[in-house]
Amino acid sequence: MSSSLSNFIAADSEKCIGCKLCEIACSQAHSGSTAFTAGALTSPILPRLYVVQTPEITVPVQCRHCEDAPCANCCPVSAISRKNGAILVENKLCVGCKTCMLACPFGAIELLPMYENGKPVMQPVLCEENETSVDEAPMLFAGKCDLCTDRAKGPACIEICPEKALSLIDPARMKRDRNIKAAMSRLNTSQNFS
Amino acid sequence: MTKVRELIKIDPELCTGCERCKDICPVNAIFGKKGEPHRVESSRCVFCGQCVQTCSGYSSILDEAETPRAEKLRERGMFESTTEPLFAAYCAGDALEVAAALRTDKFSMVQCAPSVRVAIGEDFGMPAGSLTPGKMAAALRRIGFDRVYDTNFAADLTIMEEGHELLARINSRATLPMFTSCCPAWVRFMEQHYPDLLPHLSSCKSPQQMSGALFKTYGADIDGKAREEIYSVAVMPCTCKKYESARPEMSMDGYRDVDAVLTTRELAYLIREAGIDFTSLPDEDFNRPLGTYTGAGNIFGVTGGVMEAALRTAYELVSGEPVPDTDLLFVRGGEGTRAASITIEDKTFKVAVVAGLKYVAPLLEKVRAGEADVDFVEVMCCPSGCISGGGQPKVLLPTEREEVYMCRRKSIYSHDKESKIRKSHENPDVQKAYADFLGEPLGHTSHKLLHTTYTKRDI
Repeated sequence: MSSSLSNFIAADSEKCIGCKLCEIACSQAHSGSTAFTAGALTSPILPRLYVVQTPEITVPVQCRHCEDAPCANCCPVSAISRKNGAILVENKLCVGCKTCMLACPFGAIELLPMYENGKPVMQPVLCEENETSVDEAPMLFAGKCDLCTDRAKGPACIEICPEKALSLIDPARMKRDRNIKAAMSRLNTSQNFS
Repeated sequence: MTKVRELIKIDPELCTGCERCKDICPVNAIFGKKGEPHRVESSRCVFCGQCVQTCSGYSSILDEAETPRAEKLRERGMFESTTEPLFAAYCAGDALEVAAALRTDKFSMVQCAPSVRVAIGEDFGMPAGSLTPGKMAAALRRIGFDRVYDTNFAADLTIMEEGHELLARINSRATLPMFTSCCPAWVRFMEQHYPDLLPHLSSCKSPQQMSGALFKTYGADIDGKAREEIYSVAVMPCTCKKYESARPEMSMDGYRDVDAVLTTRELAYLIREAGIDFTSLPDEDFNRPLGTYTGAGNIFGVTGGVMEAALRTAYELVSGEPVPDTDLLFVRGGEGTRAASITIEDKTFKVAVVAGLKYVAPLLEKVRAGEADVDFVEVMCCPSGCISGGGQPKVLLPTEREEVYMCRRKSIYSHDKESKIRKSHENPDVQKAYADFLGEPLGHTSHKLLHTTYTKRDI
């Protein structure tokens, strides 16, 4: 059963220095733009992982690709689903209801403005002053980690981290490796429970 | 101790204390505890701006900053319309001041360093290292500059002055090795840390300051203006050039050679603010005579470039023959130190090139001990020379930085290769400037306008 567990990205808080390069690389990987300098950016930096810094700990927080994903379960328009072991949002279907934001125990989802060709995508919304006319507002979508499934070099955050604090966790493999380690440790001790 | 302008700053609201800037600072001018906001000690800082290039502590639209963005933009000398993300480490800019000055009836003259034309396109979404001298000249004219001149002209002039200075030092057995003096961060470092070696620095002003000095004399005469009517601006890949232009030695009778310095990034802000679509601009020429340049002047933008340009001219000055191959590949290279020698007639000249201020100390210690077996040394503070300067378009991801610098470098060399004239002494307008105005290299007028002095500075 465990061989089908989803992978996820996690960071070692002992190594993280809080530089936020992972956030920038994440945003760049999802921007759909070829801009590579600060001046050329036509949209804001919009990451899908968030470096948290408190006096006690510094570490980025991101999606765990939960097995029983509350975000997917509660989405009223079925915009969130599991594909190839990752929990993904179909941006175009998202209505911005924020239910997933509330449901996520890690705060790994953020409503992000949608950009196309460096310009915000606008949508008609009801005018606040006059309910019979419409206004324009930026279209929002539930942004979250997609494990960079479309990126040839894999997750951008892992690649950029100067401290190698981030890694892709394969829980099933990790468990097997620990089993082997535990078994091997018997070789060096006189442990014998039989 | 004279107070210097606090050019390089760290916004405590954005700094996360990751200390990546501290690691890259060549002079240990950044202080603070890990995980807490850091600060730059301006008296130690050489204003190279490498921390500005490195910083990744950005202001997120998802967080509420204590200080509103509009106020931060004002503090940084940026236009309210600028939309790019703000980072903790920044250089206090002068774009607002220049925009205001261009609205006055002053006669404005601008110069651009070689590295600007291989990088500014990047801030408009063009590929890394796009070569755009023509678009840059066109943009500067549309922004409102009356004369669009070029620092490369003065780079050629620097070769004339510095080349003759080197030969004079060798012939009279004066202080050697001679160090280049184009890089203001390097000059400031020498004044702070090795004041006893200041006689080794070439007395030549940098190309920026040579240009500025000529704008308000020779250039003013050409346009029939008085020097107080001239507003002199330099566009530089460098943050330290702002400091250099404000040095008291860099003015005459109370008029600064260069009134304001813009970085490459700041020029991009000005172009956007003016509503100019940079990528679709036509190619235009620089104004003559102070905008005429050779390939040799253009390679000042990369490490080894000043040396190569100097050797192309020195070879001919000494031997009377042109250098056998104009491409002197042995002085080209990347970050770090390299040494070479060239034999001209029966004399062997030993040269060295240093890129990156942190690599220079061992050589200086040898010079101090009288053990340095070298005649001429080029030093640039930034890792790949000026193309990687602190005022250049900021590459967001460190994994892409080397590749981008490589592209800028290639453009600098291909621009040289494609130039009709590739030796500074063959620049017709430099020759004319000597004939009509300057007299001869190291002559009286040169001495007054193009050379300077250095002072010990406390840290």
